[in-house]
Amino acid sequence: MKITDRKVFAAFFVIIVSLFVTTGCSEQKPKKSRVDDIIKEAQTMTLDQLAKKAIEESKGKEFFGLGNSSRGKDAIPKFIKYLQKIDPSYNLSFEWQQPKNNKIYDQLIADAAKEKGTFAMTLIQDGTQFKPKMLATGFLKRFVPLEWAKAKNITNLDEYNGYVPLLMISKVFEYNCRGDMAYTNCWDFVYKGVRPLFMYAATETVGMNFLYMLTSKKYSDILKKAYDKLPPEKQGYFEPIITSMEKEVDELKKEITDKDVLHNNENAKYALAWIKLWMDQYNGQTDDGPICNILINESAKNKCGLLVYSKLRSVVESDKVSLNNLKVAAYEDDYIGIGGYGYCHYLFVTDNSPLPWTACALISYLTTQQDGFEAWGKDMGCYSSNPLIDAENEKIHKHKNGGYKDKDKNKPLLYAVKNDKGKDWWENPEQGCLVLEDPEYCTKVAFTIGRWIDLLAK
Amino acid sequence: MQTKNDNKFINSIKTYFSKPQNIILFVFGILLTFTTLAPIVAIVEDTIKIHPGTLDAYLSGEVSGYSVVNYIDIFTSKYSWVNLWHPLLNTTVLAVFSCLVAIVYGGGFAFLVTRTNMRFKQYLSSIFIFPYIMPQWTLSVVWKNLFDSSAVCGTSDGLLASIFGITMPLWWCKGLFPSIIVLGLHYSAFAYILIGGIFQNMDPNLEEAAKILDTPKWKIATKITLPMVKPAILSTILLVFGSAVGSYPVPHYLGLTTLSTKYISMNAKYTGEASILAIIMMLFGVAIMILNQMSLTDRRNYTTVTGKAGQKSLFDLGKTAKYAIAWGFIIITFFTSIFPIALFALETFLPNPGDYSFLYTGDFRNLTTKWWFTTDPGTDSSMYGQKGIIFNKTIWQAFFGTLWVSICCALLAGTIGMLVGYAVAKNRRSKWAGYVNSMAFLPYLMPSIAVGAAIFVLFSNETMNLFNTYTILIIAGTIKYIPFASKSALNSMLQLSNEIEESAIILDIPWKKRLWNIIIPIQKSTIVNGYMLPFMTCLRELSLFLLLCTQGFIMATTLDYFDEMGLYAFSSAINLILIVTILVFNTVVNKITGASLDSGIGARDNA
Repeated sequence: MKITDRKVFAAFFVIIVSLFVTTGCSEQKPKKSRVDDIIKEAQTMTLDQLAKKAIEESKGKEFFGLGNSSRGKDAIPKFIKYLQKIDPSYNLSFEWQQPKNNKIYDQLIADAAKEKGTFAMTLIQDGTQFKPKMLATGFLKRFVPLEWAKAKNITNLDEYNGYVPLLMISKVFEYNCRGDMAYTNCWDFVYKGVRPLFMYAATETVGMNFLYMLTSKKYSDILKKAYDKLPPEKQGYFEPIITSMEKEVDELKKEITDKDVLHNNENAKYALAWIKLWMDQYNGQTDDGPICNILINESAKNKCGLLVYSKLRSVVESDKVSLNNLKVAAYEDDYIGIGGYGYCHYLFVTDNSPLPWTACALISYLTTQQDGFEAWGKDMGCYSSNPLIDAENEKIHKHKNGGYKDKDKNKPLLYAVKNDKGKDWWENPEQGCLVLEDPEYCTKVAFTIGRWIDLLAK
Repeated sequence: MQTKNDNKFINSIKTYFSKPQNIILFVFGILLTFTTLAPIVAIVEDTIKIHPGTLDAYLSGEVSGYSVVNYIDIFTSKYSWVNLWHPLLNTTVLAVFSCLVAIVYGGGFAFLVTRTNMRFKQYLSSIFIFPYIMPQWTLSVVWKNLFDSSAVCGTSDGLLASIFGITMPLWWCKGLFPSIIVLGLHYSAFAYILIGGIFQNMDPNLEEAAKILDTPKWKIATKITLPMVKPAILSTILLVFGSAVGSYPVPHYLGLTTLSTKYISMNAKYTGEASILAIIMMLFGVAIMILNQMSLTDRRNYTTVTGKAGQKSLFDLGKTAKYAIAWGFIIITFFTSIFPIALFALETFLPNPGDYSFLYTGDFRNLTTKWWFTTDPGTDSSMYGQKGIIFNKTIWQAFFGTLWVSICCALLAGTIGMLVGYAVAKNRRSKWAGYVNSMAFLPYLMPSIAVGAAIFVLFSNETMNLFNTYTILIIAGTIKYIPFASKSALNSMLQLSNEIEESAIILDIPWKKRLWNIIIPIQKSTIVNGYMLPFMTCLRELSLFLLLCTQGFIMATTLDYFDEMGLYAFSSAINLILIVTILVFNTVVNKITGASLDSGIGARDNA
C-alpha cells in the first residue's frame, strides 16, 4: 500500500468513526422521568382539573400527535373547543400524523432519542410491538384517566396491569353473496380453492396478531368445536392437514418454555392447520379499502375476505356495486366459529413529551367524553373502551339500526350488513366470536410461533 | 531549506486552487462525504445494533448493545431462503430485466427520434416521458384495473374481463412479469432522456465517414454509434438498476417479494436484518457504480462534441415504416401515458373506487362530481368530513409546499450536481475526483426510507429540531437528488472536448464567463435535465419524506393520507395535479430556456 493510500484510508476511517459517534445509539433512558411524576399526579385528577393544567401548559403552543388512526386530526379541534369553554382565549395549533407501514414505531423511537421530544402523545396499535419496543424501553408511558378507571371498575391503579385503549376495531369475515356459496363455518374460509382477501402482513403487522391469538387455548378450542361441526367430506379434507400439524406443535413446544403457550393446548394442531391454510391461500391486498371495493362488486361472486367492518360505511350504491352484494358471515344464523378479529388502538404519553399535561388531558377527554370519541364513534365498527361512552355513542348514532332507512327500525331494512350488533355481541364467544388481541400473549409468541408463521409467508 | 519547502508547498496549494474545478472538488468532497456517509453509517450500525422487541433482542437475550446475530440468522438459518435468497433472486431478475426493457425500449425510441426520419416525433417525444412523470405505482394500479379478473385473481373483474370477457393468466396479472414491464416502462422515459441527449449531441461525422466507405448499417451501429453512447447507456443502467433494486411500490402492488418489500415487511420484527437487506441493495448499486467508474477511467475517450460543425443526416426508415413505427408508438404510448391519466381523471368522478358501472350500463347517473365541488361534507360519510378537491385547503397548502420544496431541491441539487459533474469531467483521471463523484452518487443507491430515517435522527434533536419544516425536506431532497444532476452533467461534460474551453482560456476569458457563455449553452438540454429530474422526482417523492413531516405538509404525504382513508378520488386528483404541474413547468422552462426534458433530444428538429 502506498503512503498516500494509507493516508486516505486512515482519513476515511476517522470519518467513519466520527460519524459512528455522532449517529450512535442513544443510551437507555432512566426509569423515572418528569413525565412519570406528572402522570402519577394526573391520574388522581378529573378531566376538568387536567384541562386547567393543559391550558396553563399549552396555550398558544404547537401540539404534535402521532397515531395509527387519521381521526386524531378530527378529535383535537373538539378538544380545543372543550378547553376554550374553560378559557375562551385558549388556542393551540396542532399537527396529527399518521405514518403507514409500521413507520410509527421508527418515528417514536427516533423521537425518543431527543431530550425533549416532538410528539406529545400517541395512539398506537399492535400489541406485539408496543410492549417490548415502547414500554419496556420507557419510551412511552401509560396514563390512566380517573373517570375511565371508574367506568371500568378499576379501583387500584397499582394493581392494574392493563393498558388504556381508546377503542376496539373489528375486522370481520365477509363474503360476496351473488354466487351460490355460503360460508357457514370459519373453516370454510380456508377450504380447498377458497382465496380469502386479506391485507398483506407487510402492510399491517397487527393482522399477524390475529393468527398468533388463534394458537391460544381459548381460540384453538373454538376452532376444534367448529371443525367438529363440519360435514364429513369437509372434515375429510382437513383431517390429514390437521394431523400433519401434530409434529409441528411438538417442534414448537421444544422451543417454547412458557407453559401457558401450546403446552396446555391439546387443540393447538387445529390452530396451526387453520393458520397454514390461511397463509397458503390468502389473497394479499394492499389495504382494507381495495378489499371492500372488490367484495361489493357484483362480479366478485363467492369471494370472501377478512376486513375492517367500518369500511362499509362509505359505500355508495350504483348499478354494479351494492352493500346487498355482501354478507357478514357471523350475522348468518347458522354460522359456526370465529367471526373475525378485534384489536385495539392504545393511548400513551411519550416519556419526553413536550406537553405532558396537555397529553394527559387529551387522553382523558378522548376516553371519557362522547364528544372526544365522536371522530371514531360516528362510524360503525369502532367501539369505545369505556362502556359508558360506548352506550352513549350507540344512543346517538344508532349503529345497531344502521341498515334501516334513517336508522329507524320501523322503516324498511335497506342493508342488513350495516346493522352493527355492537361490541358486547361481537366479543361474546357464543355470538360474534371475535378473536381478541391480547398484547401479553402476542409478545410471548412473536418469535416462536410468529417465526413459524413467517416461514409460510408470501 | 525549510522555508523553500514551505514555499513550494504553498505554491503547489495555490496552483491547485487556481483551477475552479479543484476548488469545487475540495469543497464538495468534504461536504458530500458527511452528507452521504452519515446515513450509510447509520444503516450499517443498525445491522449490528440490538433493537428491543425485535429478533436480535430475542436471539441475543439482550435489550441493548451490539451483536452479529442478525448476520448469522439471515445468512445461515432456515429462514434465509424466505427472508434473503428468494427476495434477492426476484430483485436481481426484476432489476436486470426492467433495465433491459428500459434500455431497449427507451434507447430504441431515443434512436428513432434523434437519428431517423420517423414521423410525429414532437408528439411522441412529449408523451413518452409521461410514465416517468407519474408516480411508479400508478402504472401498477392501471395494470391491475385492466387485467385483474374474478376467475384468475380472486378479485372483482378488471376492465378487460368486464367488457370483453377476456381473462389473462395469473403470471400476467401478478408477480414478476408485470413488475418487469411496469418498471421497465417507467424507467424507459429515463433512458430516453439520458440516451436521447447523447444521441442528439453526437457529431455524426464518424457515421457519415463510415457510410461513405460503404460500411454496413449494423456495423456502423455496433462499431461506431454504440461505443459513442456507451457512457450514457452505462449511466442509464446504473440509474435504472439502482432504482429498480430499491423500488417498493411496483412489486408491492403487483404481489412480488423483493428486497425492498421484504425490507418493509421485516422492519417491524427483524429490524437489524432489514437493514442488512438495505446494505445488500446498496451493494448492488455500488457494484454497478464500480463498473461505471471503470468505464470512466478507461483510456478510450468518448468526446463527441468537438465544437466543429457536423451536418446531421437522418437514417431513412422508408416511406411506410416511418409512419408504421410512429403509429405503433402512438398506440403503445396511449396505454402507458394517456390511458392512466384518463383513468385517474375518471376515478375522480366515480361513486366508489374502481366502480365503472356507468361504462357497463351507459347510465351517467352512476357518475358524481361531489369529489370536486362539495363545499359542505355534512353527513355524507363517503366524504370523510373533507371538502371537495377545489375547496380543500389541505390539498392546496400541500401543493404550494411541494412546489417550494421541489424548486429549492432542483436548484440546489441541479447546481451542485452540475458543478460536481463539470469538475469530475475536468479531472477525470484523478482519484479524488472519482471519490467525489462516488460520494455524490451514493445517496441514489440508498433506500429512500433509510435515508429519511437517518436524516430525521441527524436534524431533529435538542439542538436542531427541523422536524416538519421545509428546511429538512430540502436538505433530504438535495442530498438524494444530486446524483441525477451530477450523472447527467458528467455524461455531457465527458463528451465535451477540452479544446473548446482551452481556446477560451487562451483568450483569458474568466471561468464564470466560460461556464455561462460556452459550456452551459452547449450542454443546455442536459443541464436543464439536471434540474428538471430532481424537480419531477421531488414533486412525487414519498418514501424519503415520510418520516420528516406530517400529512398535508406536501402533496405526496397528503396523497398517502387520502389513500389510507379510502378517498381514492382525492389521491387520484392529487396525481393529476402533479402531472399537470410537471407539464406546465416543462413548458415554461422550454419557453424560457429553449430546452426541456424532451426537446433537448431533438424531437422538434424534425417533427
